[in-house]
Amino acid sequence: MRTLDLRPHHLVLWAAFIALMLLMPLMVGNGTLRTMIFACYLAMFAISWDILSGRTGYLSFGHPFLIGIGAYTTGILTRRYGIPVEASIPIAVLVTMAGGLIILLPALRIKGSYFALVTLAVMELMLQLVPVIRPDLTGGTRGISRLPALTRGAENGYYLAAGLMLAVALFAWLLMRTRLGTALWAIGMNEESVRGSGLSTTRLKSFAFLVSAGIAGLAGAFYAHYLGSITPRSFFDINILFQIIVAVLIGGAGTIIGPIIGAFFMVFLLEWLRPYMPGTERFFVYGSIALVLYMYQPKGIMAIVDTIVSKMKGSRA
Amino acid sequence: MTLALEVRNLVKKFGGLTATNDLSFDLAKGESLGLIGPNGAGKTTVFSQIMGELRQTSGTIKLYGEEISKLTTAERIAKGVSRTYQVPRPFAELSVRENIRVGLMPDSLRAMIFGAPDRSREAELAQSIGFAPKDLDKTASELAMGDLRKLEFARTLATGAKLLLLDEVFAGLTSGEIGMIAELIQDLRQRGFTFLMVSHDLPAMEPLVDRAIAIERGTMLANGSFADVLGDKSVRASYLGES
Amino acid sequence: MMQIIVQGLLLSGLYALIAMGFMLIFSIGRTLNLAYGAYIMVGGYIYFWLSQQLGMPKIVGFAGAVMVGALMGFLKHRLIVKPLKGDAVAVEISTLILAIIMQSVMVLVFGDASKILLPIIPGVVTVAGAQVTFNILAATVMSWIIIAALYAFVRGTHIGRAMQAVSMDEKGAAISGVDPDKINMITWAISGALGAAGGVFFASYTQLSPQMWVAPVIISIAIVIVGGIGSIIGTLIVAHIIGFLEVSIVALWAPELRGVFTMLLIIGVLVMRPQGLFGREEH
Repeated sequence: MRTLDLRPHHLVLWAAFIALMLLMPLMVGNGTLRTMIFACYLAMFAISWDILSGRTGYLSFGHPFLIGIGAYTTGILTRRYGIPVEASIPIAVLVTMAGGLIILLPALRIKGSYFALVTLAVMELMLQLVPVIRPDLTGGTRGISRLPALTRGAENGYYLAAGLMLAVALFAWLLMRTRLGTALWAIGMNEESVRGSGLSTTRLKSFAFLVSAGIAGLAGAFYAHYLGSITPRSFFDINILFQIIVAVLIGGAGTIIGPIIGAFFMVFLLEWLRPYMPGTERFFVYGSIALVLYMYQPKGIMAIVDTIVSKMKGSRA
Repeated sequence: MTLALEVRNLVKKFGGLTATNDLSFDLAKGESLGLIGPNGAGKTTVFSQIMGELRQTSGTIKLYGEEISKLTTAERIAKGVSRTYQVPRPFAELSVRENIRVGLMPDSLRAMIFGAPDRSREAELAQSIGFAPKDLDKTASELAMGDLRKLEFARTLATGAKLLLLDEVFAGLTSGEIGMIAELIQDLRQRGFTFLMVSHDLPAMEPLVDRAIAIERGTMLANGSFADVLGDKSVRASYLGES
Repeated sequence: MMQIIVQGLLLSGLYALIAMGFMLIFSIGRTLNLAYGAYIMVGGYIYFWLSQQLGMPKIVGFAGAVMVGALMGFLKHRLIVKPLKGDAVAVEISTLILAIIMQSVMVLVFGDASKILLPIIPGVVTVAGAQVTFNILAATVMSWIIIAALYAFVRGTHIGRAMQAVSMDEKGAAISGVDPDKINMITWAISGALGAAGGVFFASYTQLSPQMWVAPVIISIAIVIVGGIGSIIGTLIVAHIIGFLEVSIVALWAPELRGVFTMLLIIGVLVMRPQGLFGREEH
């Protein structure tokens, strides 16, 4: 596998990570498992965001829009048209990719800050549009409820979510180790030089966007079935965006394991805070930690771990 | 004699300012041309138009006989022209090897995903420009100015273009490094590469070019042998006026 | 028809005010300061707290809001923007986080439910056959007074001209004896004050809620970009386009589609003409 430059320690680490995730139900109770299910979905959203924004530096403030399309597509197909989930989820992924492309692709041609603004405006547009357009399909502000469940019980739900997350993470990790991953990263450092190296940056960004949208749609669709009901506020909301971005930042942008660590850290911290702060004010604690960490080390926990590891190696040598 | 580059009546206006004023010149295949002029004469603007980073207001640019004015930068590079920048633009967090790798990549998603990087070609390019093997894994942000300039040259070479536009490749280099790059340019000339170069270091540039053109405020002042162009009255006036 | 014109003028004035504060920041750093939304929200809440919960005079509430806004702008520049040294992506991310933190603080202190602000000035007047509350009229008049004062300040005072100089060329300004750091700080503080003032009026126009900042911040950013960065006239024109668009849609079509068309307009213009309707191409 010269393409990917795989080393033995990669395989060992991946095997250990997969084993840890799959053995989890033997170690923790159902309550914790339910928290972990949410963490797995958030991790997938975060990986999706990071493939586009963490690498290329084009900040997507509209990721909830993509996740929401995935969720609404499968919701409408299963509940309004009676299409089985085996068909509705793949369709949801395709619709997310197509919808994202039509609406956001033109925006990739404009400069970074403007892209961020357009994506934010698209999310706000959906928040206002979904409740009023075709309420017979979208269910208006009340959304769609009683989506068919894919699994029963916390344990099965966990295996589904963790399995999906591992697959997504492995896929993204492999993809980012190819030359394409290097090129995407290079765009984030200096887009003009990538163009000056003879590469079509628009095509590269579009591809990153498609992959990102595909993962967002997939995770969004499965998440909708896990939740069982969807509303505009629970998807097209700036708080969702905040959770995704902060998970990436805390863990470390530009890595695969970083967003996963960030998502688990975030979800468990929020869970522990729940008894003291039941509502969104929990984000105060969370946001403050994220902001201080970001100001101290913009590359997140992963970079801090790296520094410690290399220091320890250095002192041994 | 085939022409590598044909610039005809090139005009670029920024609002009321004319940056390139009816400029025409040719570059034969295998030839090396020096483009000289004071600061702000519009040399870099000419480069940007040839590369398609700026669109000319009017005029035509032909590369190996083909009109390229409508092509994107990536398409022009694929047709065999590439440039360096006055201020190097490395990928700061990538290694020397990976910086060169980006230059070597074909512009095809499929090849980028499924093709393996050519590690020996990466090392060969780095070494031809004077990087030691141990430098290959250094991050670009650790490099000094001279090394960044060399890295930029290596990445430009990596695109496979045979017509190279060099913008101040000697600035900030030690005399040893200048000698090394000059040697590389001579070697590439032997191998049939075509050059268009801008440099303030006229003594270093002189042996590297067959011919020179001088411009000021985007207008051609002189075109001929290096000595003739430097001896031209209007060229001397514009240079003296600069200091 | 008259109703639309009068309401349109009123709403547009409000949008122009909010956009002005954002423009100041955007023209010096070209960064999307998403925490600008936090000034708007905090301004509204401080006014609510002082004048409605503590029963202080309205002018005290307003002054308090403006001062807190200025302080927030100042602190943000000192603690976040300056240490990040112009890294646009980092500023955008950190200001988004800051906005959410401020939103959570408001939830923590005032609760999640929306609040209705009492009219700043009660009463109704009939202007050209259209019913207008004194409250909205006062908000608009105040907006225009503030906009005029800002214009005079930027054009007529030494600090104002220095702000312009810094926004055009920071290094050049530094050479000619202006301290860009000090000017940036002042600009951030003024921007905070304008945002908070706009927030008071905006909250009295709609209502006070922890999520109220998202739409106005998108609108003000868009007004500035679509109007052409740094162009006060362009900003005013686009504020009126959006204001009238919203009022017309509410009156003639469907109130719930109000924000939809604003967002569509913003997305359309940004994608097709990123240099704005009245701005020049930047290079």
